[in-house]
Amino acid sequence: MATINVSKKYTVKEKTYLPAILIGMKITMKRFLQGFLLRKHDTILYPEKKRDYSDRFRGMHFISVDKNKTENCTACYLCETVCPAECIHIVADERDEDQNPYGVKKEKKPVSFDIDSLRCCFCGFCEEACPKDAIKLSTNYELAVSSREEAIYDLDHLKREMNGRSEK
Amino acid sequence: MSNTTEFEIKKPKVDLNYASEKKPVASDPSPEAKPLPKVTIDGKTYEFKPGDTIMQVAERYKVHEEIPRYCYHPGMPIAGTCRMCTVEVEKAPKLMTSCSTPAADGMVVHTRSDKVLKSRTGVMEFLLTNHPLDCPVCDKAGECELQDYNYEYGPGTSNFKEEKRVFEEATTKKLSDQVTLNMNRCVHCERCVRFTDDVTKTNDLVMVNRGWHKELEATTEAGLTNDYQGCLTDFCPVGALTWNDFRFKKRSWFLSKKPSICDRCSKGCNIEVHSDAEVVYRYVPIHNEMVNGHWMCDSGRSSYNDLMNPMRVISPLMNHQNGLHSTTLQALLGELSIQLKNASSVQLVIGTDATREEAALLKDKFPSILGKNVSVSYFNGTAGVTSSADDKKMDNLLKMKDLTPNTKGVEEQGISPLSQGEVSSDIVIVFRNGRAGIPKMKAGQKVILWGVWNHDEIKTLSSQTVLGVIAGLATIEKEGSFKNTDGIVQKFHPAIVHKGGALSAHQVVNMWKSLN
Repeated sequence: MATINVSKKYTVKEKTYLPAILIGMKITMKRFLQGFLLRKHDTILYPEKKRDYSDRFRGMHFISVDKNKTENCTACYLCETVCPAECIHIVADERDEDQNPYGVKKEKKPVSFDIDSLRCCFCGFCEEACPKDAIKLSTNYELAVSSREEAIYDLDHLKREMNGRSEK
Repeated sequence: MSNTTEFEIKKPKVDLNYASEKKPVASDPSPEAKPLPKVTIDGKTYEFKPGDTIMQVAERYKVHEEIPRYCYHPGMPIAGTCRMCTVEVEKAPKLMTSCSTPAADGMVVHTRSDKVLKSRTGVMEFLLTNHPLDCPVCDKAGECELQDYNYEYGPGTSNFKEEKRVFEEATTKKLSDQVTLNMNRCVHCERCVRFTDDVTKTNDLVMVNRGWHKELEATTEAGLTNDYQGCLTDFCPVGALTWNDFRFKKRSWFLSKKPSICDRCSKGCNIEVHSDAEVVYRYVPIHNEMVNGHWMCDSGRSSYNDLMNPMRVISPLMNHQNGLHSTTLQALLGELSIQLKNASSVQLVIGTDATREEAALLKDKFPSILGKNVSVSYFNGTAGVTSSADDKKMDNLLKMKDLTPNTKGVEEQGISPLSQGEVSSDIVIVFRNGRAGIPKMKAGQKVILWGVWNHDEIKTLSSQTVLGVIAGLATIEKEGSFKNTDGIVQKFHPAIVHKGGALSAHQVVNMWKSLN
């Protein structure tokens, strides 16, 4: 069988390696001097410094609360219905009447509201479906946890006072 | 899959107390002599019986989907108050309510003309002026007639700029332990008022005040007292009346719906089992003119709780060192076979909640498997009922005295009732499906339990020796047929799949057979 020889012949310049090393050193010295003398960096000092993300970035979920620190969620199950990853699990119950300052609007409450962030695909459909603007995705992208259990967010974890999409 | 009703007797004397049945129907002395009158609805001509309303003709021939309605319900007298069902009748100056206008020969009706649709849009806009936008919280959402008709006929916008009316006290008002009223959602169709007036005849509810302030109230301090309160929540077209047992448990669109038969009494009401992931959330009646009409009683409606009881035995249990322990069915049946072979006499008591097929199987095939003489009898267990002859109506609607579904069907197999204190054999096998009572047994009696049992019931047998428990399937989990108190045989198929270790009687008998 005929074979095609794809190997190429190296020139003397390539064989000695030295010119290529010098070219590399030139780039290294250029970057070093830029950073050392002109203080011009391409990296940042994370986590002390953080990058700016778009306000539309979809990060960790939260449930907004009203001025009485009661969650806005009324356990309507629309987010659970629309969720393509099936990562939201709600259990609903009746809210106590003394905890019912707004009458009919807050007759129902979530007893538990779990989001399995390992299953979540951060599509933001839940936010779109929510009729009460309760569930939202924040710009928080630091989702690292040390165990699988911690990755399932419960109501207490999700219920936070928020200023817009970013944490107060 | 649907319930099939075999009519064994030609016309059972069922007084369903239908108010609509009482409507005088113009009797024709010789129906064959004259051809039936004809009415034209939406360009097609239909024959009808004299006395039918336009709605009934359209309903029978399924013209379009349905004529929208709020106040009309086929099981109740006609009110004609909601104006949603108006249709255009040619040569009539105004739109006519199809629920209350009798069809006439040669009448030409349009149910979807521009004039009709405009009228419906107007009605919808008026109904929505005061209806709160709380569908996320409302339990009716997903099966709400106001939602459905608003999608189809609603204006989409509203000219109403004022504050919506709020009934402060009646926002969540308990009408009874079972029903909660939210008056803000009410559209004043008064189905509930007519139901308590004409169907249950308890006159529990009344509308007080007029116009803007019209409000539903219970007539007595005690609130609702009738035994058919669940029906109010079924036919309420909006979420004004909600069933507390189901309230906030599940959204309606998650439920899968399968037909079955209620086994709470000998009436055998046709039901729809609403479940999600094989967990039952409610029973809802299905219309069957011959058996239950449109209704079902509250004790039947909440009877799914027994089935979903966490104390229910769903795996075989064997007696070991004076305690019941979970085991495999093969091990249990092997052990029981030895015990039964050594027994001097064996008695089988079949509860009257067994299906006809189970009763036949246990009577004919089961004794031959054991290879010895087994005396078979049935036991009802309802106070004051030993056989179907003792059964009688408890009210003017559906409730029966006999609280087991198949007394007639078991009697039909030629099995005789167990007379009190007759349980005297060495070993007694009690087969029941959670509805029939437990026969009286002397202390120290060896007993094998079979079917649907829960641990609380087994605890009452502490003075007897329970050799083993064979877990069985409940009515909605299996296939079979019941013969109800009127002699109507009703077949049913599994509505949910049993997730535990219980097996049907046929499977247990087959396994027992293969062991011997």
